[in-house]
Amino acid sequence: MKFISIAIKDFKELVRDRRGLFFILLFPIFFMMIFGFAFGGMGEGNTPHNIAIVNYDQGTINSTSGGNINYGNNLISALQDANYENSSVKLFNITTTTDSHAKDLLRQRTVDAELIIPINFSNSMAALINNTVQSGTGQASSVNTSTNSTSTVIISGDTGFMGFGVAQGILVGVLSQYQDGVVTAVKNQIAGTPGAQPTKFIDTNVQSIPGTQNFTQFDFLAPGMIVFAILLLATTVAAILTREVESGTLLRLKMSKMSSFDLLFGGLIPWSLIAGAQVVILLAVAIILGLHWQGSFYSIILAIFIGIIGGIASIALAMIIASFAKNDRQAANLGTLIVVPTSFLTGAFFQLPAVFLNFFGHSFQVYDLLPWTHTLTALRSVLIFGSGWNSVSFEVEMSALLTLILFVIGVFLFSRTRLRAEN
Amino acid sequence: MDYMLEAVDLTKKYDDLVAVDGLNIKIKKGEVFGFLGPNGAGKTTSIKMMVGLLRPTSGEVLVNGKDVHDINKEAIGICPQELMLWENLTCKESLDLMADMYEVPKKIRDPRVHQLLDDLFLSEKADTVVSKLSGGMKRRLNLALAVIHEPEIVVLDEPSEGLDPQSRRVLWNYIRAMRDEEGKTVILTTHIMDEADQLSDRIAIIDHGKLIRLDTPENLKKEIGEGDVVDMKLSDISLNQDLINILDDQDDVISAVEVNGRIIIRALGAVGKLPMMMEKVENLNGRVADISVRQNTLEDVFIDLTGTGLRE
Repeated sequence: MKFISIAIKDFKELVRDRRGLFFILLFPIFFMMIFGFAFGGMGEGNTPHNIAIVNYDQGTINSTSGGNINYGNNLISALQDANYENSSVKLFNITTTTDSHAKDLLRQRTVDAELIIPINFSNSMAALINNTVQSGTGQASSVNTSTNSTSTVIISGDTGFMGFGVAQGILVGVLSQYQDGVVTAVKNQIAGTPGAQPTKFIDTNVQSIPGTQNFTQFDFLAPGMIVFAILLLATTVAAILTREVESGTLLRLKMSKMSSFDLLFGGLIPWSLIAGAQVVILLAVAIILGLHWQGSFYSIILAIFIGIIGGIASIALAMIIASFAKNDRQAANLGTLIVVPTSFLTGAFFQLPAVFLNFFGHSFQVYDLLPWTHTLTALRSVLIFGSGWNSVSFEVEMSALLTLILFVIGVFLFSRTRLRAEN
Repeated sequence: MDYMLEAVDLTKKYDDLVAVDGLNIKIKKGEVFGFLGPNGAGKTTSIKMMVGLLRPTSGEVLVNGKDVHDINKEAIGICPQELMLWENLTCKESLDLMADMYEVPKKIRDPRVHQLLDDLFLSEKADTVVSKLSGGMKRRLNLALAVIHEPEIVVLDEPSEGLDPQSRRVLWNYIRAMRDEEGKTVILTTHIMDEADQLSDRIAIIDHGKLIRLDTPENLKKEIGEGDVVDMKLSDISLNQDLINILDDQDDVISAVEVNGRIIIRALGAVGKLPMMMEKVENLNGRVADISVRQNTLEDVFIDLTGTGLRE
């Protein structure tokens, strides 16, 4: 069987080309390490948010004591003391500063958000307290109130920055709680007892998917990195196939009794093994870097199988690239040009907005036409959530079907352009 | 006559360029057939069509009376001009691979590989990867890969290019052995006239895609005139053309041409004509810097037929 001889030849060439092998196996590892360091801590546990506070509040007079009371400072203290629920971790790292410096910090993303406490904040709080006392006793409180009793606390930041999105959400909640807390305290003072919390009829409870309590952004990205590495195979294989054309060795094989099937199926075997090896190596590296892997030995076997199908799809893509590239450098460049956008389309790095196409009345996701999208979904499911065959069978079957179509196209184009007599 | 390969009105056109123009050649079984021509004459294009790698615009190639595209692939072995080798395989692995590709049974393959490595002085390098071989060794392996399946027709496209004299002798002996001991038909393209002269039973000279001569080396040499060649160099090469004009007018001089600054004069009984030639030089107030008399060579024929202009 000639395809076995071709497979052995390709395997020997692959193993003996140390530099090429180094690139194939280590380049994705470097990527994985960079993403591991960058996103390994994101989302894991509770981390304080960096906030810059500009306090313009001039305070107000306490009519009982005659002294000045500044609710802006009081709010800052409250924010400094605020902890995550059932945790000793602070909610915020506070920097009190000027507005211009706070803006600089925002631009540098040193802080997630800027909180501006207005000049009449204490007056507003006094008005709130007075209003609470009057509604409780019919008497005015000891805190002076002015006519200008409405103030606006500004939360400023870069709306395109994920850190701001999270921080501003928490700040709004904490500010609301601060007001509620002040009102509750006044009511309790009037009643002369610590008082009771209002009866809650609707409660909320946030729950994690089992096993995901400690998940980070890296857990989402690691399977994407594996798919990216598998996709990168297309670039390397395309360059190697084109080199075989350039060096004339393909011409030598073409003169023999070797068929297109022997060449392409034979080449498929060692490269599929490389794809499987990449899954194992990258998974090991990801676990070392903090991936919260939930699978078993069985899930590794399943992941290798899924990776091999993705690898075959990459080899099919390589054949298509090698059909058009004139030399190995062009193949590598063309490969990169195709592989990198494709990896983004599959959602390897982040989820793209859904794009639907209508075809004979049926609507489907454009990205689902790529076999690697299904490879990624299946790998995430198997490696991160420990899913079994039943959960991923549809994705694997779709990936296999699309790979088959891509492979037929690749064999057709490569045979037509490279394995027939020249015209 | 038993012809192994026939090219019938073989033509190849690329847009307005006619690379091969109605080539008709019949190559006998068991002969070494030399294929000569300047660069761009159409040699490689012709060879590619003859082995079925390139489809002709018109005409056909018959191997043993069958169209070249219908024959068994093992009938032809080609040793290309460029080295076509797997740099990361050893010599033996490369030969084993090609034997497998031609479906050579293992019990025949192993002794054949051993014999080839021995014949081409590569036995010591059998397990050395190709990237570590010298240029001469790579050339010899290039040839071995072309004949591992024992083809009836062996096409050698400039096989001696870049070889040292020792490696060239090994190659020549092997080509002779293929013809004399194995009865193979060898088609040889070369720029080395000495190689074509010593190895070829018949030689075809093509230029501008057309066959201009086809005969044995001896007959080709006779065709441009029997006798000797005077190879002369003048101290002042600006006098070359004047001397050529004078000598061309002499009845007993067959031809006089300038090649690389030297004057090549063909004449019967050239030694006896030397005093006359020296007198003509003196009449031009010239001086001979170097002079020799030798036999007619195939290179003289080649230059006579294809001219001295450079081809790119």
